[in-house]
Amino acid sequence: MIETELAIVGAGPAGLSAAIEARRAGAEVLLIDENSRPGGQLFKQIHKFFGSRSHKAGTRGMNIGTELLRESKELGIQTWLNGEVCGIEEGHKLWVVRDRSRSEIVKAKKIILSTGATENAVPFPGWELPGVMGAGAAQTMINVNRVLPGKKVIMLGSGNVGVIVAYQLLQAGAEVVAILEAAPKLGGYGVHTAKVSRAGVPFYVSHTIKQAFGTDHVEAVEIVKLDDSFKKVPGTERTLEVDTVCLATGLTPLTELAWLAGCKFCYVPVLGGHLPIHDDKMHSTQPDIFIAGDISGIEEASTAMEEGKLAGINAACELGYIAPEEAEVRSREIWDSLNSLRSGYFGQKRRDSKVSILQKSEELISYFKAMII
Amino acid sequence: MKGSLKTTGAPSLEELHNSPAYPTNEQLRKGPIAIIECIEEIPCNPCEAACSRGAITVGENITSLPKIDFEKCIACGACIAACPGLAIYIKDYTYSDTMALLSFPYEYYPLPQAGDTVQAVDRHGKYICDGKVIRVQNPKSNDHTAVITIEYPNEYFEEVVSIKRIVIS
Amino acid sequence: MCDEIICRCEEIYRSEIEAAIEDGAVTVNEIKRFTRAGMGLCQGRTCRRLVERILSEKTGIPLSEIQPSTYRQPVRPVRSDLIQEYNNKDQKED
Repeated sequence: MIETELAIVGAGPAGLSAAIEARRAGAEVLLIDENSRPGGQLFKQIHKFFGSRSHKAGTRGMNIGTELLRESKELGIQTWLNGEVCGIEEGHKLWVVRDRSRSEIVKAKKIILSTGATENAVPFPGWELPGVMGAGAAQTMINVNRVLPGKKVIMLGSGNVGVIVAYQLLQAGAEVVAILEAAPKLGGYGVHTAKVSRAGVPFYVSHTIKQAFGTDHVEAVEIVKLDDSFKKVPGTERTLEVDTVCLATGLTPLTELAWLAGCKFCYVPVLGGHLPIHDDKMHSTQPDIFIAGDISGIEEASTAMEEGKLAGINAACELGYIAPEEAEVRSREIWDSLNSLRSGYFGQKRRDSKVSILQKSEELISYFKAMII
Repeated sequence: MKGSLKTTGAPSLEELHNSPAYPTNEQLRKGPIAIIECIEEIPCNPCEAACSRGAITVGENITSLPKIDFEKCIACGACIAACPGLAIYIKDYTYSDTMALLSFPYEYYPLPQAGDTVQAVDRHGKYICDGKVIRVQNPKSNDHTAVITIEYPNEYFEEVVSIKRIVIS
Repeated sequence: MCDEIICRCEEIYRSEIEAAIEDGAVTVNEIKRFTRAGMGLCQGRTCRRLVERILSEKTGIPLSEIQPSTYRQPVRPVRSDLIQEYNNKDQKED
């Protein structure tokens, strides 16, 4: 058995940021990631990020990833790559399978779960055909593995993931035949949709895919118009020739370990569904277990990094490496930064939802306190 | 609304004219100026810091829409590659009697070269007219966002915003 | 409408999930045991939410009240000898 003060599961933007803060404060950190390279989704993000200078705005995601890796290396953060955390047991014991070939048990005083998210699927007849994939999968293929998944792509979903991946598919040399959106309004940032639009990609609002055709691979899709209550309108079907279908229909927090750890959950559709309840220190309802990043609600890499810092600072504080007063001051600064990221037309709803989660956490705490008394 | 940002993907001229950064017709045709097509409140402000003249303002609240002081803007183009949304370009109506100038961000390979004839497009990627590449700037500080400058007939002044991708066959 | 696969790992169709609900399944766990949807290699990562949605649509139970099916370790597909190795190590600790 390996013992450590702080185990962090997932070395994406949240996990890396948490590790850097906690290690810098002096905590002994073990960072575990199932991939062969840390950075999570950052190395797929070849576009320049939004935000302000303190959020590293204007820097491409992959370069932010490189920067975080450099910092974590300089701090000598112990990192296990190809490490799959398969379970979590009482006593903060993590079951880690390393290199798919051996089981290890890690006992940690504190745990931060920054496991990220998984892509949502949309079923339609033919969606199991090769050529139908998550937009994130297509992004991994083009930006990490340098493989073009297809030449003629249709994107289902116009949120930021859909439009950004469509743009990057164009950059990689594919043709994007259309971007479909089931809602009557496009979802992603206007500057992203405008960028793709001037490259000649048509948008179809109130549309979805009815079915995909092909023998051993997608050869075409039938698209259909949707009415105001999202019902397919008969007679509006149209067939488009494509060899790739990308599904950009949202993400779901990867919460298995939080469920196993006994964390209390709430259901917040705006943030991706069932989420572990957390407080303003990113503390879950279980003692010593923190969460950060997409597991605590689907947002962006910029917010994930801020939440990671919060979790890292407060875990280090509980371990005695940062004075509570200092942790509070620094947490407040991070909350200011988070609030500025969660404002405006797109951010406000997420901010309101986050406030509702913090309230649930407070209610639970007072409920349990009352029980103890 | 027909032809709006949230249904077609690109802002309509009406939406642009109603946004705080877009110049008036008079300002637009006076000489070289920067134009920001950012009409939606997103948390972003690198354009503000990119302008050494202090012509671009976002303010304390980073989701506010940018504004440009056209008296201060000298159309240097420093903001073009700084905008993560690729939403800023420079236009000059007064370039010559018949031709206008456009400098815009471009992130596709291969890059066009000075002297090339390219297909100028509107906000929906529709071919409008031919243009000629005047220069291609791609310094390291742009971090792979090249800035292409083309001349094109000034009768299409407001419609043209970019060029068709050069597709390698 | 032609049928569609919901659970790709176990090749369970929408019609089979709907039949399970018609036969009385009212939770995701019950649907899982009736049909094996979510019991394959990915352990429901892809179909979990689709099954929840079908259950909500068919029964009128709001999505907010539908509990996800139970999670158990290992939450990743692992070789069975590694489970054995884990159990051995775990017992030694206790």
